[in-house]
Amino acid sequence: MNMTKTFITTCVGIASLLFAFAVNAQTTNLPPPLSIQILSQNTLSGVAGDFVTVRGQIMNTGATTLNDVTTYLSLVDTGTKLPVDLEDWSAEKGLYMGSIDAKQILPLSWKIHFVKAGTYSLIIVAEAASNQIPQVSTITHFDVAVKKNLNPGQVLPVALGTPIIILFLLFVLSYRKKVDE
Amino acid sequence: MYFHIWQKEIKGELYTWKSMLWLLISSLLFSVTSYLLLTNKELSLLDQTELLWLLGKVIIGVALLIVTVDASSVITTEFEKETAESIFLSPVSLADFILGKLLSSLTLWLAIFAVSIPYILVTSAGSHLAIPFLAYITFLGTLGVLGFVLLVFAISLFFRSSKNTLTTSLIILLGLSIPAVFSTTLKNDVASQIISRVNPIDNIFSSLDNVLVDYHVSLLQNWQFIVPLIAFCLLAFILLLFAMHQFQRQGVIRSE
Amino acid sequence: MNMPAIISIKNISKSYGGKKAVDGLNLEIQRGEFYGFLGPNGAGKTTTIRMITGILRGDEGEIIVDGSPVSDKNHIAKLLGVVPESRGFYEWMTASEYLYFFANLYSVPKKNQERLITTLLSEVDLLKRKNSTIGTYSRGMKQRLGLARALINDPKILILDEPTLGLDPQGQLMMQQLLKRLSGAGVTIFLSSHLLDEVSRLCSRIGILHQGRLIAEGTVDELKQKTNMKDLTEVFLHLTNA
Repeated sequence: MNMTKTFITTCVGIASLLFAFAVNAQTTNLPPPLSIQILSQNTLSGVAGDFVTVRGQIMNTGATTLNDVTTYLSLVDTGTKLPVDLEDWSAEKGLYMGSIDAKQILPLSWKIHFVKAGTYSLIIVAEAASNQIPQVSTITHFDVAVKKNLNPGQVLPVALGTPIIILFLLFVLSYRKKVDE
Repeated sequence: MYFHIWQKEIKGELYTWKSMLWLLISSLLFSVTSYLLLTNKELSLLDQTELLWLLGKVIIGVALLIVTVDASSVITTEFEKETAESIFLSPVSLADFILGKLLSSLTLWLAIFAVSIPYILVTSAGSHLAIPFLAYITFLGTLGVLGFVLLVFAISLFFRSSKNTLTTSLIILLGLSIPAVFSTTLKNDVASQIISRVNPIDNIFSSLDNVLVDYHVSLLQNWQFIVPLIAFCLLAFILLLFAMHQFQRQGVIRSE
Repeated sequence: MNMPAIISIKNISKSYGGKKAVDGLNLEIQRGEFYGFLGPNGAGKTTTIRMITGILRGDEGEIIVDGSPVSDKNHIAKLLGVVPESRGFYEWMTASEYLYFFANLYSVPKKNQERLITTLLSEVDLLKRKNSTIGTYSRGMKQRLGLARALINDPKILILDEPTLGLDPQGQLMMQQLLKRLSGAGVTIFLSSHLLDEVSRLCSRIGILHQGRLIAEGTVDELKQKTNMKDLTEVFLHLTNA
């Protein structure tokens, strides 16, 4: 009788443990139940030097509160196929959201500075502490045109004119010295 | 007496191909710098104060380099071309001779500064920084150039060779310039901070930063940068006095 | 009455790296004298001249010029006109500019400068080339310009180190005639030269330097008598070969 009791208890314990592992395994190997939407246009266009705002929202589509949520940007130059260092593009590359309750929606906003002309793809990435795989948004495209100003700050007259004046003085000096000789 | 030496130097050293080429090269460097800086400013990668600070560093750096190279030969050439003997046979004293040469080097600095004025005006357009920037470039640049020229003259009198003087002077200039361009993150240890405090070039750049970024425009607000710079000039002057004393002891023609 | 010597050299010595270039030299030049200073190469002539002019410091002894020690640079510079051994010129200057520059250094009054410079350039036969740069001058022309510069301050004492070196015969003659005229006007002349014939004709007294020491001194006739030689060349060779 005692042996049967022990056997049943052990089986139940092992089964519970296995169930717990299974549940746990299912939780960490999936991305968090987050939905990230970019509310701005699919393609944002501008000229190098412009500032734009990328707006979005993040929603916890799961049944429980998600903790330690962080969102950040990832930008790729579609021309060179290389990731872009966001150093000058955005002052806040990451936003720490903290906890998002079930079904809660929180706004996202990044001020982006178009540093260099080209075409780019931007995604928003979200990580939660309980998940090993991040959640990503859809892609937003940037189309940045070259800033066509050959004379920034009216510098050209000075930048070209001053050396030309000195060159002229050089020739005058050379001519005068030849005449003297 | 020094006036005639100065006059001779202006005609023989400054009103020449060589000096005009120096001014042309300076102007081209300032052109490229100001164009790139203003392009970046338009892209909002730089704000105006940082732009002016960078331009100020380029102006001072170029001026110090050119004046150092020129000063390395103004005295030594007199010995190498054997014109020193006829000068010192005349009633000209060594002090008059040195003063005349010094004024000539300062004149070269003023010529480089004059070339930089249009660039300063165009890059500071639209801000209230033009006048303080001009004033401090004049003041700090003159002090910096004065200190370096006095040092180079002392070295000239010791070596009496333009090659050795130039090499030594450039090593000193590089040795002081390199730490000055390190970012502040590389100057966190005690040794770097001490070097930073006494380095004349570092003090010039820091004072410009203080004026442009923090808008501390009065001399009192920059005393911590100006005092070491004056100390550097005084030290160079003392070294020159010592070199002049040695020179007079040895004579114009040194016993070999 | 015995006038003090205008140049008095007392026991002067100078060594270069342990080797004595001038060794206990004693010499006196009288006012108005035309003194010839001879010696083979390396005898110490240029070293002696540089010590007299104050350009080089002696190791021992003293030199008095017109009652003042050579260290009194301000006074000495105004008395002396020097054609030194080193022949450096500001090649970019014209002859006119060069002489104006030195006229200013010697504080020649501005109102006298033009006349003085014209006269000097005329005397050294460079007037026609006064506006050419010195860089275009021949060696002989530079020599003559050096003499003009030495005379810019109307010196009491003229010291010349091989002034006719590199001059053609006409140039040498011109130089010699000018020096004779200056000597006749009372200028004390101290001439170092290798041209024995020139020294023999011009100088009232001659000193011969050998290995830093004055080995003979006197008029040409006195030296010929002492050594029993026919001319100055033989005297020189005899004394310096001994």
